[in-house]
Amino acid sequence: MDRASLEVRKGEIFTLLGPSGCGKTTTLRLVAGLERPDAGEITLRGRVVASVPRRVFVAPNRRNLGMVFQSYAIWPHMSVFEHVAYPLSLRGLGGAAIRDRVERVLELVGLAGMEARAATLLSGGQMQRLALCRALVYEPDLLLLDEPFSNLDAKLREQMRLELRLLQRRLGVTVLFVTHDQIEALGLSDRIAVMHAGRVEQVGPPQSLYERPVSAFVRDFLGTTAILRGRVGSVGTGGVSVAMSGALAGRTLAGRSASPAPLAPGAEVHVAIRPEDIEVDGAGMDGNALPGVIDTLLFVGDRYEARVALGDEQRLVLLLPRARQWKEGQPVSLAFPREAVSVWPA
Amino acid sequence: MAGVARAEPLRPAWRVDRQSVACTVVLGVVAFGVVFPILLVVAQSFQTALPGQPPRYGLDGWRAALAEPALRTSLLNTLSVTFVRQLLSLPLAVFIAWLLARTDLPGRRWIEFAFWAAFFLPTLTVTLSWILLLDPEYGLVNTMLARLPLAGKGPFNIYSFWGIVWVHIITGSLTVKVILLTPAFRNMNAAFEEASRVAGAGTLRTALRITVPVMAPVILSVLLLGTLVSLQTFEVEQVLGIPFRFFVFSTTIYDLLVTRVPRYDAATALAVVVLVAMLPVIVAQQWLTRGRRYTTVTGQFRNTPHALGAWRWPALVGALGVVGIVLGVPVVFAVLGTFMKLFGFFHVAQPWTLDNWTTVLTDELFLSSVRNTIVLAVGTALAAVFLHSLIAYIAVRTRYPGRRVLDFVSWLPFTVPGVILGLALLWLFLGTPVLRPLYGTTALLIIAGVISGMPLGVQIIKSGLMQLGGELEEASRIAGASWWTTYRRIVLRLMAPTLVAVGMITFVGAARNIASVALLSTTANRPLAILQLDYIAQKKFEEAVVIACIIMLISLAGALVARFLGVRANIG
Repeated sequence: MDRASLEVRKGEIFTLLGPSGCGKTTTLRLVAGLERPDAGEITLRGRVVASVPRRVFVAPNRRNLGMVFQSYAIWPHMSVFEHVAYPLSLRGLGGAAIRDRVERVLELVGLAGMEARAATLLSGGQMQRLALCRALVYEPDLLLLDEPFSNLDAKLREQMRLELRLLQRRLGVTVLFVTHDQIEALGLSDRIAVMHAGRVEQVGPPQSLYERPVSAFVRDFLGTTAILRGRVGSVGTGGVSVAMSGALAGRTLAGRSASPAPLAPGAEVHVAIRPEDIEVDGAGMDGNALPGVIDTLLFVGDRYEARVALGDEQRLVLLLPRARQWKEGQPVSLAFPREAVSVWPA
Repeated sequence: MAGVARAEPLRPAWRVDRQSVACTVVLGVVAFGVVFPILLVVAQSFQTALPGQPPRYGLDGWRAALAEPALRTSLLNTLSVTFVRQLLSLPLAVFIAWLLARTDLPGRRWIEFAFWAAFFLPTLTVTLSWILLLDPEYGLVNTMLARLPLAGKGPFNIYSFWGIVWVHIITGSLTVKVILLTPAFRNMNAAFEEASRVAGAGTLRTALRITVPVMAPVILSVLLLGTLVSLQTFEVEQVLGIPFRFFVFSTTIYDLLVTRVPRYDAATALAVVVLVAMLPVIVAQQWLTRGRRYTTVTGQFRNTPHALGAWRWPALVGALGVVGIVLGVPVVFAVLGTFMKLFGFFHVAQPWTLDNWTTVLTDELFLSSVRNTIVLAVGTALAAVFLHSLIAYIAVRTRYPGRRVLDFVSWLPFTVPGVILGLALLWLFLGTPVLRPLYGTTALLIIAGVISGMPLGVQIIKSGLMQLGGELEEASRIAGASWWTTYRRIVLRLMAPTLVAVGMITFVGAARNIASVALLSTTANRPLAILQLDYIAQKKFEEAVVIACIIMLISLAGALVARFLGVRANIG
C-alpha cells in the first residue's frame, strides 16, 4: 500500500475495486484499525483515528465502525439474538432496549422470529444477514464490507445486493465496500476507487469511470473494451484521427484523445471502444466506420451474440438485435461514434 | 491541525500500548518462574562444595558427569526408548484419531472418552498393574501360559527394554497423542476430504493422501511434543529399569541426588546437558509452526463422518482391544492389587484382604493429604488455564515484540527433569526473602504444577487458537469490544472445550505429580502422590497401591467432569 488518498462522503456507498492483492482489503483493515499504518493519517468524521506523525492510534473497538467479514465471522457459540445483542450490551444498553433494537434490526433483514436459533444452523444468506445486523444495530459511523457477497451463489448475490442498496438508502449509513467484482461495484456504488498494485488508479462515480477511464488499467478492468492499433494521423480540436495498421491499413478512425500528454502525429496508439457503443450497419455513417464479417453467430434468446472479424486478426464480440436477420459470413459495417472512441498512447 | 487533534484527545504512548504493558508483565512473571530456576541450576552445576559447607566453584561436577561411563549408556538408552516409543505409537495414534474423528465407528465418543480416562491414569499405577500381569516369575499372563503344554516358563519379562517400551506406550505415548489429535482431526474442514472422495478416492486413500497430509503440521507438532515428554520420563524406568540396571537420563540424575552424599553439582551438570540437547527440538517445533496458517475452523462448517461399511465392526473390536489394554487392564488390576495380602502373589493360600484399605483410611495423614491434593489440583488447574491461555494468546494473536521469546520460554520447563525443577524452585523460594513464607504452603506446589504443565498447556491452547479464524475476534473488536472483553466473551468461550481439556490435564497432572513436588512438600502440604511415595519408601507396597487407586479415582472423576463440561461447551 502506498500513496492512497481517499475520502468517503457521508451517506454514500464508496467502493474499493481491484484485482486480488491490490491492497483494497488492507485499506479496509487500516480503516477498521485491524492493521497499523506505517505512515499517513486516517480521519473519521473529523476525528483522527490513526496518524503516524501524531502518534495516534485508536483501537478498533473505539472507532464505532461496523464490519461484515468475508467469512461473516459468525460466532459458533452464540444464538442469533446474542449476536446482535453483543455490541449493544458492550455499549451499556439495558435488557429491554436491547431486545427492542435487536427485534427491529432483525425485522429489517427478514430474520424476525429466529432469535433463539443457533447461529451456526443458519444458511449462507441468513448468516450474511445476521452479520449485517450485528454491524448495523449500533448505528456505526461507517459500515465496512469485505467482499461480503463472494460466498453466496449468483442469484442470492443479486438479491442481497439489491437488499443492501435499499437498506443503505433507508438507514443513510455510509458504506466502505471492498470487492473484486466490477458488476457488484458498478451496480452498488455511489463512487468507486479502482485500485491496482497498492495504488489508487481513479476515483469517481461508476458511470464516469466506465466512460472516461484515465488509465489503461481502469479501462480494461471495467467492462470489456475492443482495442485496435494504429498511428496518429492528425490532431485537431475535435479529436484525433488515427490511421489503422495491420489488416485495416488504409482506413482511418477519429476519436477523442485519452492521453494526458498531447499526441504527436505518427505516434503508435491504441483505439479503444466499448463493444456496446459500436453500431452495426447503422445509419449514422459519418465516415467513422470499419468493414467486418460475421464470423460466428449465437442466438441467446433476447438477442444474437456475434463474433465479427475486422480484417484478419481482430475479432470483436458484439450483441446484435433480434429484430433483424443475421447470418454467418455476412459482411457488416461497424460504425464507431466519435464520442465513444478514445485514443491511448500505445 | 491543532483543532482536529484536540477533538480527539491524544493518548500518550504508554496508554496506547496498554496491551504491550500487560504482555510484558506476563513475560516477566513467566521468565521469573522458568528462566531464573534454570539459571540457578546452571550456576549450581559449578558449585562443588558438599551440602552444608561454604560454596566453592569448579568444574568437578561437569568432569564427573561427563567422565561417568554410565552417562553415555543412559543417553543411548534414553534415545532408543524414545525413538521406539514414537515409531510405534504415532501411526497407531493417527489411525485411532482418524477413526474417532472422521468415521462412523460405533460408540466413538465413548471410546474417545476411554482414551481420556486412560491418559489420566497415574503412570505408577499402570506400571504396577502391568507388573501383576507380566512379571517374569509370578505375572498372571506368564503363569497362565506356563500351564500350557508347550511353554515351560512364561515368555514375558516386564523388566526389559521392551517391557519399558510397552508400559510407556500404554501410559503416555499413545493416549496423549490420541486425545490431542482427535479434536484436531474433528475440526478439519470436511470439504478437503469430500473433494477427494468426489475425485474418486476411497476412504482409505482419502485418509492417507488428504487427511494425514492436511493434518501434517498438527501431527508433527504432537510428535515433537511426545518426543520432548518421553525424553524426561522417570517413574517407569525407576520401577522397571533399576532391577536390570537400565538407566535413562532422569533416573541417572535421580541416582546422583539420592545417594548418601548428594552430588548436586554432577546432577545439575547432567540436567544442563539434557537441556542443551532438547533446545534444538524446541527450536524445530517453533520453526515448524511459525507463520503456518492452518486455520480450519471458520464460522460456517459442517462435518460428515465417513461410512466404514463392513469395516465398522472389526474396527470397533480393534479399538475396544486397545481401550482394554490402556484402560481396562490397569484399572482392574490396580483395584485387585489393593485387596491383596502380598502385592502380586495370586497363588498364596488366602490372597485377599481388606486390611490395606482400613490401614490407609484410618491413617490420619490420609485425610489431610486428600484435602491437600484437592486444593492443589483445583488451584493448579485454574491458575494454569489462566496463565497458559494468556501466554498462548499473546504468542499467537498479538504483535507484541517479545511474543517469540515468551513462546520459547514457555517450552523450557520441558527441558528440565521434574526432580531438578523441584530442586531449582526450592532454591528459588528459599533464596528469595519475599517468597520464603510460601515454603511449606500448597501455593508453592501449585506454582510448581503450573510451571511443569506449561509447555503442554500452552501448546494445546496455541494449536486450538491457530485453528480459530482470526475474523471471529476482529468482528468483536469492530463491534466495540475491547481486547479484554473480546478475550473473555469470544476467545475464552470458543476455546472452552480446549481450556477445559487443559484444565483437566493440569488437574490430573497436579494430583499425581511426584517428580517436581517431591522436594517441595512438607508434612503441612503433603499431597496424596507424596504419601504414596512415602509408603513405597517404607516398602508398604499394598498401601501404596491403595493410594494409587484413590488418585486414579480422583483422576477418573476429573475426566468425567471434563467430558461433561466439554460436551456442554460444545453444544452451548
